[in-house]
Amino acid sequence: MELIANRVETIGTGTRGKNYWAALDLERQGKEVLKLNSGNPAAFGFKMPESVERAVTQNLHRALGYSDLRGFAEAREAIYEYHVGRGVKNFNIEDIFIGNGVSEVASMIATALFNKGDEFLVPSPCYSLWTNEAALNDATSVYYKCDESNHWNPDVEHIKSLVTKNTKAILLINPNNPTGVLYSKEVLEEIAKLARENNLIIIADEIYDRLVFDGKRHIPMASITEDVLVITANGLSKSHCLCGFRCGWLVISGPAQMRERVNEAILKVASIRLGANSIMQIAIPAALSDSQYTNQMIEKGGRLYEQRAVTCEELNKIDGISYVKNDAAMYVFPKIHKEIADDKKFTYDLLMEKQVLVVPGSGFMWETCDHFRIVMLPEVEALRKAVREMGDFISKL
Amino acid sequence: MALVAERMAGIGSDIRGKNFWAALDLEKQGQKVLKLNTGNPAAFGFKMPESVREALIANLDRSVGYSDVRGMIDARQAIFDYHKAKGIEDFDIDDIFIGNGVSEIASMIATALFDKGEEVLVPSPCYSLWTNEIILSDAKPVYYKCDESNHWNPDVEHIKSLITPKTKAILLINPNNPTGVLYSNDVLLEIAEIARQNNMMILSDEIYDRLVFDGKEHTTMAKLAPDLTILTMNGLSKSHVLCGFRCGWMVISGPEAARKEINEALLKVASIRLGANSIMQTIIPAALADTEYPNSMIQPGGRLYEQRKATCEELDKIPGVSYVKNDGAMYIFPKIDKGAEQIANDKQFAYDLLMDKHVLIVPGSGFKWDAPDHFRIVMLPEAEILRDAVRKMGDFITKNIK
Repeated sequence: MELIANRVETIGTGTRGKNYWAALDLERQGKEVLKLNSGNPAAFGFKMPESVERAVTQNLHRALGYSDLRGFAEAREAIYEYHVGRGVKNFNIEDIFIGNGVSEVASMIATALFNKGDEFLVPSPCYSLWTNEAALNDATSVYYKCDESNHWNPDVEHIKSLVTKNTKAILLINPNNPTGVLYSKEVLEEIAKLARENNLIIIADEIYDRLVFDGKRHIPMASITEDVLVITANGLSKSHCLCGFRCGWLVISGPAQMRERVNEAILKVASIRLGANSIMQIAIPAALSDSQYTNQMIEKGGRLYEQRAVTCEELNKIDGISYVKNDAAMYVFPKIHKEIADDKKFTYDLLMEKQVLVVPGSGFMWETCDHFRIVMLPEVEALRKAVREMGDFISKL
Repeated sequence: MALVAERMAGIGSDIRGKNFWAALDLEKQGQKVLKLNTGNPAAFGFKMPESVREALIANLDRSVGYSDVRGMIDARQAIFDYHKAKGIEDFDIDDIFIGNGVSEIASMIATALFDKGEEVLVPSPCYSLWTNEIILSDAKPVYYKCDESNHWNPDVEHIKSLITPKTKAILLINPNNPTGVLYSNDVLLEIAEIARQNNMMILSDEIYDRLVFDGKEHTTMAKLAPDLTILTMNGLSKSHVLCGFRCGWMVISGPEAARKEINEALLKVASIRLGANSIMQTIIPAALADTEYPNSMIQPGGRLYEQRKATCEELDKIPGVSYVKNDGAMYIFPKIDKGAEQIANDKQFAYDLLMDKHVLIVPGSGFKWDAPDHFRIVMLPEAEILRDAVRKMGDFITKNIK
């Protein structure tokens, strides 16, 4: 008998892979490493919203006990209002489940829905959480291309060619991680139509929906289709810089009968672990009514806005690099127009030479060795220096 | 294609099962229900330790970021010191993983270690978390009997008879849930010997180890068998009344090669979810240093102590009911001695009790106990409320079981 379960081999480590541990080793040796592997704003001096601090401090006595399995009613009420305000219909407050981050939410969805042999359409590039959870639950991730030449929108023709009788669900990450783009309404409508025709569940990870620049508008997938089952994932990690709180949730919307059955299955999964952590739940109503905090990061002069500006400015100066300017989130996914044999080796070498850690395309299941993700969280000058060092390193390739 | 995964059919929790939802319905109708289904002290007026409140507020700014995948280093240092002091030897600080409650820890262990066809020995009666996680990882729970006539200690002969080439691990819950007892060192040593001879790892859920009455002492399994691979689970939900914080951890101890391999696998599983919630991690050092808080509950005059006393006194008055007095935790698992054969279905029994007396308990079947003759009492309400509840149970039993 093997000591370790076979499924462990299938786990991809994405942002916490070998290079990450190599970076920690460098730090242990006393070197300063700029870790741009993970979207963790707190590591770059982003402070907790005062609204959240107040809510937690004042309500701490309520955080002592297990919450309801689905989450505190008043937190779910705030989440309900939020999604109704964003145009989502056909769901009610019991269709909301709060979890320890979208991480746990993804695990609950995959556990409740996937059988061996089920196929799950996921974007390439894709954040590793979802494919890991699918694999742990015996489903097969099938990658559809996002098209860099079409603003990284999902390639609908490619999606169509991948649908089989085993296709159970399609994942959309919008705004996207790692590309940072917003999908067009037309593409979303085409995907909704495709899901309708093929009886697919849509899983919409929209955690970056409040971090959209340039006055653009995010369109929730569930707001443009009422007759398809959509599970929307969201949370406070990014919009309110609360990664450590592990605050995520899901909303099931769509036809009542399907919704009820999925709800029942997720409830069973949720009941195994009793409840999500209660502390972050007491912050949800305060955070969702504090849009000011989020907005001041994305407006001109705000940190996320200016950090993107400086990143783009510096990327423009590097020969042999192109990129699609991100509309949202804190990521950009540049392309290298040079021969690279192994992109993990490329980022390892970059780490060793410049002490800058980035995740290469292969960490997002991108199949050619020509992209990497920059997390645009450091202050502008630190970011400027880092991108210059990347440029220096790339120009020497 | 089925809408829902087939594996869901095997999943169940009677602690939050149909009777729980029926109790919520009663409450919605305006009825007052005494819910003794879960060990959630906050629901019964237990207050947050002052040490925890102070640490949380002082460290809140440290809680905004993801923690290390294994957990914050100062929290793991405090955990390391705690288990060292309990006598565990062969492990280091990186052999500690902090999770969102022992719930997440159990899920990580099952995901990292169990494959289809493997068997895990689990106690009967057993808390449902473990069986659910074992089933979700495609392994098979195999139930060994705990022997009521031997102070609910695991029946070592029964364990031996269940071992096959597929047996991978054995789970111990000590102090136990739902029986509340402490296992004897002799039994623990015998189980260690069985594990040694059969190359099994030991999972030891010891979350109640700081809640032991009557001056008795809990022995951590890993101390008795330093040569075996042991995963010890613990957390702050019970000793510091922090269920809502979801604060649990595990310690891997034993031979280095196996420890390393398991550590690597767990690290991969843990890295999927980036980290446990940071907030509860910031209070671990303060909580573990605050032994006064749990001690004040278990001494004469303390709530857990007095509530157990009231429960036992009232149980003594019910004809046809016997029980093993618990040594720790907040549970007792009485037996209906006389007339139990009249109970066809103990879930129905618990449902009828709920409807008649508005008291919710979990019957033995909720803990994979195979006869319909036991139920668990959660001894968390104040002594007088508990007294009244146990009287109601007695009244119901004498009325319905002849």
